[in-house]
Amino acid sequence: MIYFGKKGQLHMTETIAVMFIFFVLIMFAMIFYYKYQQVAFKEKQEELLGARAMDKTLKALFLPELLCTKGEAESEDNCFDLMKLRHANETFTKYLTNYYFSVFSYARISVLQLYPEQKEFLLYDKPKPDAVSGEKTYFVVILKDEIVGNSLPQYNFGYVMVEVYS
Amino acid sequence: MVIGKKGQIELTFNWMYVLIAGTVILLFFVGIVVKQKAASEQRLSIDVLRVMDSIFVGSGVSEKTKNFIDISGLADYTLYFDCGNGVGHYGLKGTTADSENAVDPIFAPGEIQGTQLIVWSLPYKLPFKVIDFLFVSSSNSIYYLFSDDTDFANEFSNVTQGFNVKYTINSKYNEIDPGKSFQVRLIDNGGLVVKKNGQVPLKLKGMDDDKVSAVVFTGTNQVDYYQKEGALWRKLNFNPVQIISLGGERDAAKYGAVFAANDKDYQCNMKKAFVRLKYLNEVYSGADIALGKVSGKLGEMVEYYDTHKELELTRPDCIGNVKKYDPNLVALMQTHQLRVSACLLQQSSCADLINSAQDIKKVNTALGVDCITLY
Repeated sequence: MIYFGKKGQLHMTETIAVMFIFFVLIMFAMIFYYKYQQVAFKEKQEELLGARAMDKTLKALFLPELLCTKGEAESEDNCFDLMKLRHANETFTKYLTNYYFSVFSYARISVLQLYPEQKEFLLYDKPKPDAVSGEKTYFVVILKDEIVGNSLPQYNFGYVMVEVYS
Repeated sequence: MVIGKKGQIELTFNWMYVLIAGTVILLFFVGIVVKQKAASEQRLSIDVLRVMDSIFVGSGVSEKTKNFIDISGLADYTLYFDCGNGVGHYGLKGTTADSENAVDPIFAPGEIQGTQLIVWSLPYKLPFKVIDFLFVSSSNSIYYLFSDDTDFANEFSNVTQGFNVKYTINSKYNEIDPGKSFQVRLIDNGGLVVKKNGQVPLKLKGMDDDKVSAVVFTGTNQVDYYQKEGALWRKLNFNPVQIISLGGERDAAKYGAVFAANDKDYQCNMKKAFVRLKYLNEVYSGADIALGKVSGKLGEMVEYYDTHKELELTRPDCIGNVKKYDPNLVALMQTHQLRVSACLLQQSSCADLINSAQDIKKVNTALGVDCITLY
């Protein structure tokens, strides 16, 4: 004879306890997963920001608006033409919203001349209103100035700084 | 065996309870799986776009180099490329992720499906470097070149090494065999092979219409696009499409025509280059050059020669070519900028840019002897 009495009640309590523990475990798993996702998301954001910084730096380094040219020959690598550089900012600012924002997005690009004298040329600046962080990338460049050299161009030295906002 | 009423209720309740709880738990996990699947597909398409963006940036700046990218992981997906109203789009077909690009001219077939992506870039000059043109194709997109001009055929075969290009003589038109290629493009340099309403090659008749196309170069600076329609060629463009370039080897505008899906995509990408040319002209000669007011790099050149009067005796051609002679750089840059503006308004007037670019090139070469050059 099988008799169900207090044992049945005990079973119910046991089941509820098991369920409770089960849901507690599920909750723990969800909290853990959420925290992990938060960290992963942050890491991914940093990775994306780094990649974006590299992309923008590459674009800046090879801009036809800045590059040194030699007639029909190949452009000079890692060289900016100061005679163009001094005026590029006007064009970048004038067409910032309808063109250059598509190229550089939220960023600040400047060229700092170190030799023979220190000078800064701000080329592009579009700060992100709610930016929480920024990633700076630097690249050494030669700055060619044909106007000051006596028949031969003068080569100055500096670096380009690209800061992208996140 | 006697079972009490309480036992009966408890047993039924237990089974129902297990059933309901089991179903709920099962549904919960099924829901998670479905959501994760959708999320991972979305993530994949976004990742693909991000990687493609980076590849295009890298390839765009590494002039004249070809990049072969393994995309075997995306073999089941179709990449699409499109351009309209001066804005390019690309992404994975069937997903919501879509990348917009209003800056970089990307000449590519409408669709690519395969295991290897080929990306190549060439600088577009008019006459100075304007922008890098990016050519995208895949290892299973096959190009058949028909050309009587052996110089162009040799150049094309040399520079497109790595692409699936086959140089064929006109008489073997009906013998071309695409094998298992995803798509076929015929390049007819001279317009002797592909004709409007003409027959498509025999072995291409079984292929899907949108996978067989032809580009025909007629005259020096003209191109027509054709698409297979049944067994015949259908001409896509009403008016001939003009190639705006200074010619020569590795002519970016001509190669753009080869790799562009159709006339609409070609002209859309060319428009991106003309927009950039307008801005570059301003860097070179100032925002008001169209009004004859010079500044920018050319302005500095004018100022330099105005303040160094002694150079008028020792190097008279410098100031002459910059602003005194006919033609001179100031006047030519004004004409060039006016023509760019006209070209952006009406595509048929873009051909005028060739003459002004040639004139600027001549004067700049003359300046290169002993003076500051514009570019």
